[in-house]
Amino acid sequence: MITAGIDIGSITAKAAILSDGRILGSKVAFTGYNAREAGRSVYEALLRELEMDAPTIERIVSTGYGRNSVVFADKAVTEIICHGAGAYYLNPHVRTVIDVGGQDSKVLAVNPDGTVKDFAMNDKCAAGTGRFLEVMARAMESDLDDFGPLSLKSHNPSKISSICTVFAESEVISLIAKGENREDIIAGIHESVASRISSMARRVGVQEPVMMTGGVARNIGVVRALERALGVSIEVSRFAQVNGAIGAAVIAAKI
Amino acid sequence: MDMLQDFYEAALDTERYISNLKGRGKRIIGYLCSYTPEEIIFAAGLHPLRLFGTKGAVTLADAHMQSYTCSLARGILEDALAGRLDFLDGAVFPHTCDTIQRLSDIWRLNTRFPFFADVVLPVKLDTESARQYMEDVLRRFKNDLEGNLKLKISDAALERAVETYNRIRNCLGILYKLRSAHPEILAGDDIYAIVKGSMIMDREYVAERLPALIETLHETEPVEDSGKKRIILSGSICDQPALYTIFEKAGGVIVWDDLCTGSRYFDGSISTEGDPIAAIANRYLERSICPAKHLSNTIRGERLIDLVRDHRADGVVFLLMKFCDPHDFDYPYLKSFLDKEGVPSMLLEIEDQLPSEGQLLTRFETFIHMV
Repeated sequence: MITAGIDIGSITAKAAILSDGRILGSKVAFTGYNAREAGRSVYEALLRELEMDAPTIERIVSTGYGRNSVVFADKAVTEIICHGAGAYYLNPHVRTVIDVGGQDSKVLAVNPDGTVKDFAMNDKCAAGTGRFLEVMARAMESDLDDFGPLSLKSHNPSKISSICTVFAESEVISLIAKGENREDIIAGIHESVASRISSMARRVGVQEPVMMTGGVARNIGVVRALERALGVSIEVSRFAQVNGAIGAAVIAAKI
Repeated sequence: MDMLQDFYEAALDTERYISNLKGRGKRIIGYLCSYTPEEIIFAAGLHPLRLFGTKGAVTLADAHMQSYTCSLARGILEDALAGRLDFLDGAVFPHTCDTIQRLSDIWRLNTRFPFFADVVLPVKLDTESARQYMEDVLRRFKNDLEGNLKLKISDAALERAVETYNRIRNCLGILYKLRSAHPEILAGDDIYAIVKGSMIMDREYVAERLPALIETLHETEPVEDSGKKRIILSGSICDQPALYTIFEKAGGVIVWDDLCTGSRYFDGSISTEGDPIAAIANRYLERSICPAKHLSNTIRGERLIDLVRDHRADGVVFLLMKFCDPHDFDYPYLKSFLDKEGVPSMLLEIEDQLPSEGQLLTRFETFIHMV
């Protein structure tokens, strides 16, 4: 069966197409202002790339905060359930999934069958998410893609004590003014993100194997900081960013 | 439902309802939690009005309270300082949680309402001395009302109050049971309006309206069960009609609750035998307790499991108010009780305002999917 999953996140829209449990392809695009349009265009772009026609897709599940705006989907399922299903598809032994996206971070305890056992999610504040890192990259005048490798060079991470994104940004600016090392400041930013996520993860309970998904999983600095904070090793699939869309496509085959 | 219109109006625009009542010569006494001996206020010919948090932003109260105070206490003080409670003739602060006790001092020093009373209730409720103490506290409260407001509360008036409150509480219980049996018979926000309205509107009117409402519901054709997941809501207060609506949208239905603004308010009836004050005291000792009171180390957990069984619930949603210490302390043990029995639960921590609907839907939909 050929199925598609479309994940409309706050910053990016993702699509994935699976055929009998095999990933045929995936795509990421910016969500922008119009979530409805973003879902359609990322999906159509993926179809073009795979040289497939829309009618060959037998079922579509949408997910993410914009899941209900994907009008051509057969079903909308929350991203928490989809990230659980996606992580289980990539590694059936996984027990904990840490999904850090644009403005949400979530920790899932996964049952042996890939369903969600328990979860926690940030509610009042977007500290410790992709948006937080974007703001910091702006303050550092760095490309976010360089954050991970740069931070690994640090031996003495700076201390960022503010939880509020805006205050943390001013803290980073004063660290720059004090002349602290760029690598150390970035490593400090990653530790601050890791400390937010690890406290949420402990509320759910961390059981190995642990997988990190979502766009922020692409940042090796955050992954390493989180491993240190939790005292576990964390696996990251090359499909981490599109994991929600993959999970949606997996679920589409079951409905 | 048309019959609920007045409940909705009172619940959503309390100020208007109470101003009308005041215009008809009623003296209004505000109160803070379901341990307030409302029956005695009612027997004095006064109107007991439950106070809920503010609907606006908190700006004045923050000058008097720490930021770790719950939004309910901050909101009530805000309304008082902003003049939105000027219709009050007084307020009663039962000692349940420390926040209410502290709010009482701040209120007394910063507001100018004619009547003020602390009702310093016992904390342990399972001893003989607590029984005697509870009775003494209620008698003292009666004396305070009589002395300060120059009125007399007769035994006959107390007996009438007991009858009225028994009828209201009994009816609320019947409505809850009806809804547990046929969740589609009333929407979640209908139940919210009925319970909140019952704490705001003229109690004689409520005692007349609720039996009529029950009769109408009995005559209503039973609606087919939609197969929604049956959930119990547990926590302190819920002044959020939207929460019920969003929950129903996510595929669940709240079939029962363990809330101060819910089943804890109507649980238990007052004996009509013997001394009315002793009988009222007895009900406050025996009704389902809140975490600020003590009956035994495990009673709340046991009762929650009973509720889950009695109402065939698929799961429990804990609705906790941020910075509510008593409920926060009870949460881990209540959750472990549920975990042991394999009952799924989720925690939602809120303040006066709910998180965005999108956020809530994601959590509720996931939880409904889990159960």
